[in-house]
Amino acid sequence: MKSVFKKKAYRFVSLFTALTLTLGLAACAGEETPSSSVSSKAESAASSSVASTVSQESEAVLKEGKYYSADATVESIIKDAADQGKVGNWGLGNEYEVQALLAKYDLPIQYLSQNFDMDGFDDDSILLASAMTYNELGLIKNDYDGGYSYGDSVKYIDMNDEGVAMLEDNIFTTRTFAEENPNTVKAFIAASMKGWKYAVENPEEAAEIVYQYGSSVSSEHQSYMASEVKKLVETDTNGKTVTDYGVIDEEAMFSTLELAQKYIQLSDSAAAEKLAAMTADDVYDKSYWEAAMLSEEALGTPEKKEVSIQIKWLPQAQFMGYYVALNKGYYSEVGLDVTIVPGGGDISETTAVYTGQVDFGVTWVSNLIAANAGGMNLLEIAQVYQRSGLVLAYKIGG
Amino acid sequence: MKNIREKLSKFDFSAILAPVLFGVFIMILWQTQLLHKLIGTDVFTLPLPGRIVRIILDNSPTILQNTGATLIAALGGLLFGSLLGYLLGVLAAIFPKWGSGGLTIVSAFNAVPIIAIAPILNNLTKSISDEPQIRSMVAKILVVTLTSMIPMSVNAYRGLTNVKPFSEDLMKSLAASNWEIFSKLRLPNSVEYIFTALRISVPGAVISALVSEYFAEFIIGVGRQIRENIVLAQYATAWSYITVACLVGIILYVLLLIAEHAVLKKRR
Repeated sequence: MKSVFKKKAYRFVSLFTALTLTLGLAACAGEETPSSSVSSKAESAASSSVASTVSQESEAVLKEGKYYSADATVESIIKDAADQGKVGNWGLGNEYEVQALLAKYDLPIQYLSQNFDMDGFDDDSILLASAMTYNELGLIKNDYDGGYSYGDSVKYIDMNDEGVAMLEDNIFTTRTFAEENPNTVKAFIAASMKGWKYAVENPEEAAEIVYQYGSSVSSEHQSYMASEVKKLVETDTNGKTVTDYGVIDEEAMFSTLELAQKYIQLSDSAAAEKLAAMTADDVYDKSYWEAAMLSEEALGTPEKKEVSIQIKWLPQAQFMGYYVALNKGYYSEVGLDVTIVPGGGDISETTAVYTGQVDFGVTWVSNLIAANAGGMNLLEIAQVYQRSGLVLAYKIGG
Repeated sequence: MKNIREKLSKFDFSAILAPVLFGVFIMILWQTQLLHKLIGTDVFTLPLPGRIVRIILDNSPTILQNTGATLIAALGGLLFGSLLGYLLGVLAAIFPKWGSGGLTIVSAFNAVPIIAIAPILNNLTKSISDEPQIRSMVAKILVVTLTSMIPMSVNAYRGLTNVKPFSEDLMKSLAASNWEIFSKLRLPNSVEYIFTALRISVPGAVISALVSEYFAEFIIGVGRQIRENIVLAQYATAWSYITVACLVGIILYVLLLIAEHAVLKKRR
């Protein structure tokens, strides 16, 4: 009897040792697989130790207190943050401008995954945090509900100033929809641009209108957002004033495509080839916008009257032009019945338009390029934001 | 004896052959695009198996690196979670009055979705290391630890307490100490239950690891790649990572079944 028990106990012990060993071994083997990343880590550790000895001399200039000095150069800040591995971005197609900026200063193209709040910036796990001028930047600076109240102790690096700006919020549809419903497309552009014109001329009122349609943020933040979005709609990447709302700036479009081809990494070889061969004609068609701007009488009867637009995020002043056009009846004036479909999180506006769930969408040009490389046939018909709203924010003083 | 064996192997044959044939049938439908017509989709949203396999082969170093990270999170968490769960089971068996009630509370953790735990643990582990790669991995392992601890603790408790009453009485009448009863009766009795727990927690560990990668600061892992590629509308690449995720889950489960068979066969 005893011996049986002993045997069982022995088996039990041996089973457990075997289990622990296999799991341990598997974990070790797993750890060894990304050997390249281990060696690169060692390298970067070595380089950062070198850099730290070098930067100690210039630290007086770079640092002031705990954070960066107010007059530290962009290059010194981004080098320091990249050396510490504390550059943040949301990823998911929002990262290309940051990657281009890192490449511009010969830094490793790596960033931390940033959440949709600014807590990482707040607790210093991210030193150089991605922020949209009209949204996150306002949250970290201002002290209204949801704000972090940093005020003037936050500065930022502007992608437009650094020459790595990519075009963001546009209006797009599928090539097929545009070819089959040219009048609908023209009417939609005309009414939307009328909405945008009114919104940038009356940002306070526009913010209130958006707030009525359901909002994820406070009314103070909506009105901050409206004032910042106005700047993006009315100024181009070179800082010049734009009066033709929604015009497709070909120069900015080319440089967006060029940056996209350089930094969008696609694992699918078919998609990668398509991306490399892509030209501006595969991305946009100006003719609809040009026709829409001629006169309201020349629009013709819309082929499809009930249309919907998928916005890239939750209802907020980022999309005020569409809400104003809806609220002021601009869409019904041109014979359209428009539904605005809110986005948010991982909702992919490119997929929603491609599958026909919605007719129009708002996306960043880089996302449209990636989607077309993947096999979609999307077409940009108007460019609402004329300059990049993405900045990298950092704290000064301390 | 021979008869039983033959019957067993026959059973295995149909148990394996039928699903394999069904799988092959689906693959043929899929590759010939009949499946697309049946469910009303196109080759863009549901790419052909050939393209998916090609992407896996083309990117094998990257995919291996991501799979490695997912495996560390899944297996690391599974190991810690199982040990911790077993320990909880032992404690509950030693103090049965508190034990069963305590385990009910532990089981309540099971109801908290991984999507809710992952970001919280991410924030809680921020001070652990300056290296985001390390603190992200710790956060992921903790998520998996939590999810695989629960089935193990409940099953270990059952295994340790569900002993045949006469054997316990017999040992007591033979003046066995509490430790002897525990080590020679209760522990061996729980082995079968450990495998029951692992059957739940192995697939659970893989899923928890995949989901926790969504929220990790350091961008790596099969789960994160699925998310990135779907948002970027790279469905073929996303599908190749989904395939890899399935393979990881299946292989781990098969390994577990083999281990269970080897261990429990000897015991019977």
